[in-house]
Amino acid sequence: MARSGTSIRNEIRTLRFHHGEMTQQQLAEKVGVTRQTVNAIEGGKYSPSLEVAFRIAHVFGRPLEDVFQFVVESA
Amino acid sequence: MDTSFEEKSVWIQLLSLVVGLGGYLVVAGLMLTNGVSALPAFVPVFAVAIVLIVVINVAGHVAAAIASRADEADERDQLIGWRAESRSSWILGLGVIGAIIALILSVGGVWVAHLLLISLFCSEAAKEVLQIVDYRRGI
Repeated sequence: MARSGTSIRNEIRTLRFHHGEMTQQQLAEKVGVTRQTVNAIEGGKYSPSLEVAFRIAHVFGRPLEDVFQFVVESA
Repeated sequence: MDTSFEEKSVWIQLLSLVVGLGGYLVVAGLMLTNGVSALPAFVPVFAVAIVLIVVINVAGHVAAAIASRADEADERDQLIGWRAESRSSWILGLGVIGAIIALILSVGGVWVAHLLLISLFCSEAAKEVLQIVDYRRGI
């Protein structure tokens, strides 16, 4: 489970594993972004646009909230 | 270092800017301090700087395309570019205002031209550095 710079948490690494160890490059090609962008999203270094988030969820055949979760930061 | 083609492109542009325009500004600074104040004297040096910028850019992008996939810019690349531009363009604006003030004060054309070039250099260099920081640190 990736969690770092943003308040958006994601399950992309786990979902890639459950989809035949899909590579970041394969996911990037399906979504229409670069592999480095997938890597940045997965590592919590970039929050994708709503469209890219939906595209990623669509690739895994899961609802958006199964892939991305918003984390409320405590003060 | 895991870099996209777009990030490599930013590094190449920064290198060409520092070598080309940076080199020109160093030479021009030496010429100005030695009393050269006629604008045409700077033209051949500037022409060399432009050629250097073009050559480094072309060679660098060809090498980057051969070394890795030349992926098109995606939304992250565009966002990083816009963020860097919005945080660095004020430098060029400041230079333009400075040049207008210099013209009002009847400062020589050669100084005004170089003030504009310095602000362009600083603005572009800041933009590229900010892009690299965003690529490395995340946004």
